[in-house]
This record gives sequence, C-alpha cells and structure tokens, in this order.
Amino acid sequence: MKWRKDDLGKYVGAKEYIDTLLIPLIPLQFSNDGEAEKLAFQQEVMSILANEIETELSGRLMLVPNYCYLKNSDKGTEAERINQWIEDVEQQPFKHIILLTFDASWRKYEKELNGHFLWLPGMKSGDLQSKETHQLLRDQVQELSEIIRSYW
Amino acid sequence: MSEEKKQQVTRRQFLNYTLMGVGGFMAAGLLISPVRMAIDPILKSTDEGGLVNVGVSVDDITNEPQRIDWKVEQVDGWYESEVDRSAWVYKNENDEIVALSPTCTHLGCVVSWEGNESYPNQFFCPCHNGRFEKDGTNVPGTPPLEPLHTYELEVRDGMLFLGDAKPQGEA
Ligand code: FES
Repeated sequence: MKWRKDDLGKYVGAKEYIDTLLIPLIPLQFSNDGEAEKLAFQQEVMSILANEIETELSGRLMLVPNYCYLKNSDKGTEAERINQWIEDVEQQPFKHIILLTFDASWRKYEKELNGHFLWLPGMKSGDLQSKETHQLLRDQVQELSEIIRSYW
Repeated sequence: MSEEKKQQVTRRQFLNYTLMGVGGFMAAGLLISPVRMAIDPILKSTDEGGLVNVGVSVDDITNEPQRIDWKVEQVDGWYESEVDRSAWVYKNENDEIVALSPTCTHLGCVVSWEGNESYPNQFFCPCHNGRFEKDGTNVPGTPPLEPLHTYELEVRDGMLFLGDAKPQGEA
C-alpha cells in the first residue's frame, strides 16, 4: 500500500493485516554539483527499490513518502524528527517500521532510531534502463523482501 | 412572382445558415477543445489493452508452473507508462495452458509456486500465509476468499499471448 487516498481507505478496513511501514531516507544537497548528481541518482534507484518492495508485499506493508533531509545536517536532530514520525505511526497497529537508506552516515545513529534500520551500499552512477541494472535491482528487491519477511 | 420571392428568402436563409454554421462551428471548436483536453486521459484509459506476446513458446510450457514477466503500455489517468506484469503459467492435466495472476486475492501481495516448503504443490502468499491450489483455488482457512485471477490467453503461431487478468468464472 502507498500513501494515497484509495489505499488509505483499504488500510482503515484491514489494519490488523498491515503491520509494516517502509520509510525511505533521502538526502538532498545542491551546493556541490557532482555530489548532487550522485544523490539524485541514488534517489531514483531508491524510488524503484521502494516501489518494487511495495508491489511484492503490498498486502502487509505500507510505503510512505520519503523522509528528506540535507546531506550535511546534524543526524542527531534528524534522528529525533524521524522518531517523532515513528511515534505518530505507532498510534496505529504498526509493528515493524523499516528505515531504508543508501546514506552511510546514519550508521552511527542506528541505535537511536526506533525502527529497523537497513543500509544498502548505493551505486554512484549507472544506466537505469540497462538489463544489468534491472537484474541487479530485481535481486536486491528479492533480498530486501526476504529481510523484511524475517521480521514477521 | 411568389416563386421569385420564395427563392430570395431561400437565398438569404442559405447565407444565414452558412454564417451561423461557420460561427457555430468555431464556437463549438472553442468549447470542445478544453473539454476534450480535460476528459481525454480518462477516455483513453477505458480502452482495454489487447493480447500481448509475452515471449514464451508454447513448447516451453510444462506441467510445472513457471513465472513469466512482461511489460505493457498502460494509460492510467494522467500518465502513460510501461507497467510490469507477471503470471504463473503451466499446462494442466488436459494439456490446456493456464496463466494465473500472482496477485494474492486477499490484500494483493505476490504469491509464489511452492513458496513455502511446508506446502508443496500450492501457491503461497508470504504476507498472511494465504494458500492456493495449483488451479488457483483458495485454500479454505487461509485469508484469501477467492481464487487467483486468470489471464485471457491465446496461442498464435506457437507463441503465448496474454491479455487482462479476470476473476475465475468470468474469464
Ligand atoms: S495478502 Fe496474501 S494472504 Fe494476505
């Protein structure tokens, strides 16, 4: 399920079955051209991954809009804000909150986050249309779905 | 004389009609185009996608369900996009081809053939342990309440063509 009207309607009628929430963490940054391009690319990859995972597990998992932040912002402060999101989410019977990111700088704050933190090494660039990339992403989706299922 | 008058009127009428006609046509053009623009995407989405060659030769289809993936063009409201579709395809005991949609009829997760070791010969849904028999029938006592949907299918020149997935019984 996704954060859209029709799905929320369904969610309200089937809450007991949808116990997993997926939040992609997306860094932004404009000050450095090269870095911006890389981050934008990773954002595209993340959006494909998140959508594919949602398709696989849509009956039990809800994908919410990205949590965006400035690349160099203080992660302690961001972690607090993320925890506020989670606190609100937990007003509903969600049991597993998954935070998915390519940004390694979270790893020091992993313990402060009140959810399952999943970090993936990100590609720096590539061709999203190529067969190889498709295969790679498909494999990653399979692996990530398996990890998520292991929480259930 | 009365005949001439009649003709004059007719001529004037003709002219009137012509002018009105052109004006009316222009007005209609102005009216129609914004309306058309507004409803066009919706109109298009109603025309159903025909059958698509999914790139599988009938000879390669066995009694064991195999997953096949293909893409279709889809106009969905405002967007025209390529969407991924998949099916579980096999030949049943009467040698008829069956193409089942992998979308669980409970809440829509993707099911796999023998997706759980404890349930051989069944489709398994990882989300709430929904199960389906080989022909798509939902196993009672598991969450799904209706069978897996089946794709409309056709064989042309030995190749498999699939259309839209429909609830069983309707297809
Ligand atoms: S979505 Fe398949 S059992 Fe619930």
